[in-house]
Amino acid sequence: MKHEEEHTSFAEASLVLETLEHDQLVAAKREPVARRQLQGGELALLWGLRLYLVFMMAVVFWQAWLAVK
Amino acid sequence: MKAEPQAGQKLVVLADEEVVVTHEDIDRAHDRARVSAARSGHTLRSRAWLLWLLIGPGILVMLGENDGPSMLSYAATGAKFGVGFFLPFVVLTFGMAFVVQEMTVRLGAATHRGHAELIFERFGPFWGWFSMIDLGIGNFLTLITEFIAIRAGLGFFGVPPWAAILLALGVLYSALLSHRYWTWERVTLAAAAFNLIFIPVALMAHPHWGAVGHALVRWKPLPPFSNDTLMIVLSDIGATVTPWMLFFQQSATVDKGMTTKDIRFGRIDTLLGAALAAAAALGTILATAPLFGHISAGNFEAAQFAQALQPLIGRFGASLFALGMVEAGIVASITISTSSAYAFGEVAQRPHSLNLPVNQGKSFYAVLGLCAAAAAGIVLIPDLPLVFVVLVVNVVAVLAMPPALVFLYLLVNDREIMGEVPSPRWANVLATLVVVLLTGAGILYGISVVAPNAFAWLGRL
Repeated sequence: MKHEEEHTSFAEASLVLETLEHDQLVAAKREPVARRQLQGGELALLWGLRLYLVFMMAVVFWQAWLAVK
Repeated sequence: MKAEPQAGQKLVVLADEEVVVTHEDIDRAHDRARVSAARSGHTLRSRAWLLWLLIGPGILVMLGENDGPSMLSYAATGAKFGVGFFLPFVVLTFGMAFVVQEMTVRLGAATHRGHAELIFERFGPFWGWFSMIDLGIGNFLTLITEFIAIRAGLGFFGVPPWAAILLALGVLYSALLSHRYWTWERVTLAAAAFNLIFIPVALMAHPHWGAVGHALVRWKPLPPFSNDTLMIVLSDIGATVTPWMLFFQQSATVDKGMTTKDIRFGRIDTLLGAALAAAAALGTILATAPLFGHISAGNFEAAQFAQALQPLIGRFGASLFALGMVEAGIVASITISTSSAYAFGEVAQRPHSLNLPVNQGKSFYAVLGLCAAAAAGIVLIPDLPLVFVVLVVNVVAVLAMPPALVFLYLLVNDREIMGEVPSPRWANVLATLVVVLLTGAGILYGISVVAPNAFAWLGRL
């Protein structure tokens, strides 16, 4: 029984290595992707859109509240 | 670094190399082996088989986004404005959806990482949490509206709300029973195909094909410029492009095991999904267009549209319409709760795959099941002003898209992670246009709310 299980493991592992790219393996994905520093322009754009979203969400909820009332 | 197997994993030594193999890897390898075998053939039949194996995430995301609030938005569009400007406009919005979703295929195939995971690891948890909050709020509100649509659609047949919700949850949980991505994908695709039920309903409404052709080519007649029109514009955009779609398709692409060799087929899959979803959306507009000028469909629910259509298309046609709403809600509740579970697993670094057995993916299945159950439970609470959620959900989606798209744009142009397949120039230009259009539409909407008469002069032109 144990021998059969080992055989299956070996066959399955061979199939995994033949068909999957190395970074598709679950074990490989535990390695984090390297951090990237955002540039000034990118940060300004992200902050601008963040403020836009917060303001607009307040507008949406205010309007919906009025509609429901 | 020496590999250490964890629970449910096997350490195998192959050619002096220690490899940790998981159940998830093995299931994915079986799927990929079939793709490799199909790719080795050069006949038309083998290419068709390869396409069949590789389609899935694109069609699912597009038909999944034809959800309860989206179909209600299209139904309201037809009833309020008839056949005209909104037909080509909806086709345009699906074009926008194709542009951004194609980027997620590219990103998932090149990095083998989910969208939430990449934002967290590449830009840090500060920006990652912002994205997750946007996604979490949007997904939960949308899930509530899916169950509202299911309740309303089955209500047309006299099914009590509790039974409708239990039935929907039963279908959702049944789709997960196989613990195989492939089976889940095929079951959900089969359910999603019923979205096309709106096309025969449109035919029963006997549309004037000359007017349809004229509208599609000339974008006319134009609707009057009013706050109502602006709300429908925003709602129809929100019906096709939303943040959950980005997270879902990228994670599904990774879970399916697609690689850079599959990007072309992923693009076809996404294009096919956009075409099918656009056909269903146009079908819904055409189905309710006969109501134009006869009723005020401001806050109609699914059952009310079906009832209003019954004198025009008969009981059978109205029943198909109501069933379409139920299907839209069920498929979207499956895909949206799955997108939440993928994102949670990626951020919490917990196993996240539809290939996981329950004992290895407890947190993944728990998040998926609990999100759906919580949203379903809220719909059953009596006297909650849920129309509030229906009103805002598509608009919230439009407003949350520009920040999400900027992250997508940065990631898909990041050569360190994309290698040889960064986004092409044409896609970047189109994606930038989509961001500008969405932000502009959001700003116009904001002005119309804060200063309701700001655009009155445009209505007089």
